[in-house]
Amino acid sequence: MYQFDMRRIKEYSFLGVISLLSFFMIFPLFHIIFTVFVDGIGTLVSTGPVFITGTLDDGGIGPAILGTLILSFFASLIGIPIAFAVGVYAYEYPYSVIGKATTALLEITQEFPTILVGLFVTQILVLPMGTYSAIAGAFALAIILMPYVAVYTKEAMSQIPFSFREAAFSLGVTKVKTVFLIIAPIAKRGILTGLLISVAKVAGETAPLLFTAGGLYQTYPDSLTQPVGAIPLLIYTLVQSPSPADHAMAWGASLVLLLIFLAAFIPLRLSIKEVRM
Amino acid sequence: MSESEYAIEVENLNIYYGNNHVIKSINLKIPQKTVFAIMGPSGCGKSTMLRSFNRLLDLNKNVRVNGSVHLFGRDIYTGDMDSVEVRREVGMVFQYPNPFPHLSIYNNIALGLKMNKLVKSDKELDERIEWALKKAGLWEEVKHRLNDYPSGLSGGQRQRLVIARVIAMKPKVIMMDEPTANIDPVGSKKIEDLIFELKKDYTIVLVTHNPAQAARVSDYVAFIYLGELVEAGETGKIFTAPESKLTEKYLTGKLV
Ligand SMILES: Nc1ncnc2c1ncn2[C@@H]1O[C@H](COP(=O)(O)OP(=O)(O)O)[C@@H](O)[C@H]1O
Ligand SMILES: [Mg+2]
Repeated sequence: MYQFDMRRIKEYSFLGVISLLSFFMIFPLFHIIFTVFVDGIGTLVSTGPVFITGTLDDGGIGPAILGTLILSFFASLIGIPIAFAVGVYAYEYPYSVIGKATTALLEITQEFPTILVGLFVTQILVLPMGTYSAIAGAFALAIILMPYVAVYTKEAMSQIPFSFREAAFSLGVTKVKTVFLIIAPIAKRGILTGLLISVAKVAGETAPLLFTAGGLYQTYPDSLTQPVGAIPLLIYTLVQSPSPADHAMAWGASLVLLLIFLAAFIPLRLSIKEVRM
Repeated sequence: MSESEYAIEVENLNIYYGNNHVIKSINLKIPQKTVFAIMGPSGCGKSTMLRSFNRLLDLNKNVRVNGSVHLFGRDIYTGDMDSVEVRREVGMVFQYPNPFPHLSIYNNIALGLKMNKLVKSDKELDERIEWALKKAGLWEEVKHRLNDYPSGLSGGQRQRLVIARVIAMKPKVIMMDEPTANIDPVGSKKIEDLIFELKKDYTIVLVTHNPAQAARVSDYVAFIYLGELVEAGETGKIFTAPESKLTEKYLTGKLV
């Protein structure tokens, strides 16, 4: 019996340690969400709807919200079609140069400091244009977006059983049509989920926007070739200020960012239906 | 070009996966409008050989095929026919029923017809689909839910949908790779009956690892072991008086 008890004690203490470690891992996440809610809600309530619609002078973050939407939208517009094509190609020719490169790419980009992407875009767009702009910001985000979309697309398609491919070919369906009419639609859920995660990721980026989008909070943006703001960028700016009022505003902006994520991404993710086998 | 009396003629066929020699110098003649069974234990190369008859092996970059395969007298590997034409004439049913899960029952059958422009109008498409489903013995079960997805069908029904998908193309040869391996006994019986029915109009090549099934439904049978053809001939003869000791051992269950 002694042996048995020792084993149980070991098992339980192991379990205890693992639980404790998991708690320390998850705790910061909940703490962040909790703090953002508690500190942000006060600002939102005391300022009212103007916080969402007004400019910085009105005590609102409207231009930043619009800026985030513009940047995400154009980053997707530039990045998704190219990245989807690359992902499909990498799926179709996994042993080709592009095929191997895409797989290697994600690993690199995950390590890659996004601020360097910002620097690169500064070199090729901001300096020649002589100004920060929505285009430059969107372009920087698109560069960060693309490897994720490509890899998610490739992975989602690779999950589809080979047997469907064989079935399509055996019916005299050509290679290109097999990919677009059979494999991609069956992998729809995986591909769209990958798109969402990728867009969500870039929508929360700050560093690559610092010297590409620039920032604009006193008025609403009216041109893609002019500077534009973004919520994360605004938070970054506000927190640097010594004024407590600005800090309160940063908490409010954080809550809005969080709410946009919850409101946009959770329902979207749930609405993407699995193809039932 | 003379039409051969054989649907498929295989001459000195060798197939390799990389350095793995899987099919070894096989010669085989498959007569028209018969059920020709290919039997042998798991891993002996049945599926591989079958996939060489409709050039499905082309999908795998590591495969090498030597020798010749003629389809009604035309060589399918040299310039005589392109791979899409070959696949249109040689339909295939798989070991695991694989209707396309994102397409309705109707569109599963319509796909091949549309892609290959085999019908001229929507009316003809409707008619062809109904015809194929009737031939496959599935019409009564699905006629009220043609727009449903195949996920609601049983395994046996799915396999008959796949057979309908093939028949609709009006191929000359229908190949089936262990079509009942994943189907319950009642569903299997229906598919075996269907094979019997279909041989009136089509040449059927049936792969099975179950000798009893070969005995029940085939007119001719070939026994493959470790990539080599041990013997082939009329089913009655092979099952009553096999020439090879190896065949005898296999048929009496002494070979796994
Ligand atoms: N895609 C593949 N790549 C490499 N080897 C394969 C592949 N498919 C089958 N093989 C090998 O070829 C041999 C024959 O397989 P297969 O044709 O599937 O046999 P069967 O259908 O008679 O069970 C086996 O040794 C198997 O491991
Ligand atoms: Mg097999």
